[in-house]
Amino acid sequence: MKTMMKGSLLALGLATLAATAAPAQEATFVMTARLVGAPTYNPTKATKLNTATTLIFDRLVVQDADQSFHGQLASSWESSPDGMQWTFKLKPGVKFHNGEPFNAKTIEWWVPQFKGTENAFTVEAIERVEVVDDLTVRFHMKHPDPNLLFNLATSFMCVPEPKAFEALGDKFGVTEAIGTGPYKMQQFTVGQQTVLVRNDDYAWASDLSANKGPAKFKKLTFREIGEESTAYLELKTGGADMLVNVPTDFLPRIQADKAVKLVTIPGNELVYMPINTSVEPFTDIKVREGTAFAVNQKEILNSLYGGNGAAADTFLISSLKESQVDPKARISYDPERSKKLFDEAGWKAGPDGIRVKDGKRLEVKLWTQNGTEFKRLVEIVQAQLKAVGMQADISIVDAGSINAQYRKKTEHQLAIRSYQWTNADIVDWFFAAKRAGYPNVSMFNDPEAERLNDIAMNKSKTWDERVANFTRYHEYVLSQYPFAPIYQPAQSLAYGKRIVMPEKIRGTGLYGPTMLDIAPAN
Amino acid sequence: MLRFAIRRLAMLVPVFLAVSLVIFMIIHLVPGDPLEHLIQVGSSPEQRAQMIARYGLDQPLLVQYGRWLAKIVTGDLGDAIVMRQPVARLIAENMPHSLALGGTALLFSTTVGIVTGVLAASFRDSLFDRTVMGFILLGSTLPSFWLALLMILMFAVQFEWFPVSGARSWDALVLPALTIGIGGTALIARVTRAAMIEIAGRDFVRVLQAKGVPFWRIQLRHVLQQAMLPVMTILGLRIGWILGGAVTVEYVFARPGLGSLLITALGQRDYPLVQGCLLMLAIAVMLGTLLGDLAQAALDPRLREAMGAR
Repeated sequence: MKTMMKGSLLALGLATLAATAAPAQEATFVMTARLVGAPTYNPTKATKLNTATTLIFDRLVVQDADQSFHGQLASSWESSPDGMQWTFKLKPGVKFHNGEPFNAKTIEWWVPQFKGTENAFTVEAIERVEVVDDLTVRFHMKHPDPNLLFNLATSFMCVPEPKAFEALGDKFGVTEAIGTGPYKMQQFTVGQQTVLVRNDDYAWASDLSANKGPAKFKKLTFREIGEESTAYLELKTGGADMLVNVPTDFLPRIQADKAVKLVTIPGNELVYMPINTSVEPFTDIKVREGTAFAVNQKEILNSLYGGNGAAADTFLISSLKESQVDPKARISYDPERSKKLFDEAGWKAGPDGIRVKDGKRLEVKLWTQNGTEFKRLVEIVQAQLKAVGMQADISIVDAGSINAQYRKKTEHQLAIRSYQWTNADIVDWFFAAKRAGYPNVSMFNDPEAERLNDIAMNKSKTWDERVANFTRYHEYVLSQYPFAPIYQPAQSLAYGKRIVMPEKIRGTGLYGPTMLDIAPAN
Repeated sequence: MLRFAIRRLAMLVPVFLAVSLVIFMIIHLVPGDPLEHLIQVGSSPEQRAQMIARYGLDQPLLVQYGRWLAKIVTGDLGDAIVMRQPVARLIAENMPHSLALGGTALLFSTTVGIVTGVLAASFRDSLFDRTVMGFILLGSTLPSFWLALLMILMFAVQFEWFPVSGARSWDALVLPALTIGIGGTALIARVTRAAMIEIAGRDFVRVLQAKGVPFWRIQLRHVLQQAMLPVMTILGLRIGWILGGAVTVEYVFARPGLGSLLITALGQRDYPLVQGCLLMLAIAVMLGTLLGDLAQAALDPRLREAMGAR
């Protein structure tokens, strides 16, 4: 009896040892401020979705960091030469988490779901969906939309399961979320956390993942921590395995921390300074040009961001083809050119270095939203403008109300802002005359730009044509100086020793394809 | 007593109306609106106009207020615009976390506050009195945001006694409850101490002392009992204050609760949700004050008479 007990104790001890030695099957990821507060995982209706969305659901196609498209639920696709038909072949054997099959009928049901929602623009160009056979679907278009693949690749076009979607109504994405993704949603508390468990049947990963089968972690917890210090301390103490987006302010501390690894991937964000073209002195193009060339992008990159990321010299992130404009159109620091332009515009240096014209000093308002990073940035820009003779008075406005202030249209002059987007149509969003005030903070209203906008937005038939049209439109906007480009942040992920990252992070950020390749450390 | 309670309750109605109007106007007068979070790159200005109409945001403010008030008297707090869920459901999910946190903080500040107050009064002007009261005062003057980070750095990062954040286990409650509790402790200790000292100077205490009743018996059975009257009022006020004070603390400790919900809602200008959360906090303050008054009235008949109820 004694021996038997001894034996069981030994076995228990060994089992415990084995359990502690085995790689952990669970991981905790922390989403910081920018990703906090997504209210639902319903992809068709939500306007804010987080990283976990692309693990619960799949999309027809996914996009890589180089902006190329790869099939996820679709195995291949082609568009007719006139751009009026798109035919997608779907992968066979795909099943939703509740066992329902995914096929052409799903897509026929899915596209009309966007009608009347905030995301309706994604399918606006689709006239109807035709089921060709069980695994082939054809989109008949109202007009050519070369941007269709981009839309299909966004998180907003993740494919939900029809029966659960209809049965749950508004609760879909909140109490339950059924997709075909590598993880099933187990629990979701808005603003707090999402718990996911592995979908063991998963076998239809895109070619952006090395791992084609089920994910390597059994369970993932995505916590939402808005307070950046708390998020960092959770990682530092081992309470979390990864910060999905490292707050810029914490980069130096994380770089110095030996227990934590940092990996950076190309960013999809751009920091810039809109110039209100409708108010003095910026109605004068020379003053705008002088202001734009006064910003020293490289100094900001090095002094504020420790060289992390890249200087910006156009309005688009450099991974977009439309950012490849004529070198002459690029805007990068040239103080002599700047000073010359101010002189030509009649603004002569006064006794204290600040320029004066007709007895009026070159004093302008420089706005930004609250947050340490913006505050530091705006102070550097203020000093850089002073170096060419412009005095900028800083106002820091609450992030929740700054857009309303822009809508007043004439109260602002210069501002420091940033946007996150991986498509050239952002040029339309920020510079189309019909959006003056906000989002067109520059109040840019130019007939030639409107003409080029119309061509780029509505007249492009193919992707290549669209790229060419948007490049032209972008180039023209650059030549009118309604903004000064500043900085392209890199996306930074910080992780602890319990997880192993794949050598290459694929996709436009940390999404489903990369998450499939993240493994527990041995 | 019943008449007193009814009168006191009736007084809450105009207060509630005034508070609801202030809550509604404040959030609507702040620049920004929930649509900033709903408009996508790619949607047109016309779509924005349609959405403004859909959520009734194009109506005059007083009309919007009237609609909201008419709904809340029937118990419907409306639907959150950005969160897309019934406000009542969101509050119901988060309230238990805030009550647990507030309850623990209140329990901590009450017990520590009363014990410290009694000891400080009993050893008046001693080194103990001055040191402890000084420390408590210092703790209560620190901003809760700063105190929270200090607590995390000391007890979670340095000593690793408690988790940094979250609400997954009971021990995650300790640091946030302490952070909130410390402020109340100072107040309760000060009030207890002052009341104890004041009552200890009364004639009946001298009589008891002359009769040879032991010091601690007089302090605990006679003086403390009467000193509890002002403490009751303070406790009542603290209930609402604690829930309000939990707003930043919940955010720093990444805990679910009314505070975290309110901060998210404020950032998104989700009007119905902000209004719902603020209303709950206001109701908590009103009920807390009511409870404090009722408790005091129950203990002190003179107060009931002063309020005109016999």
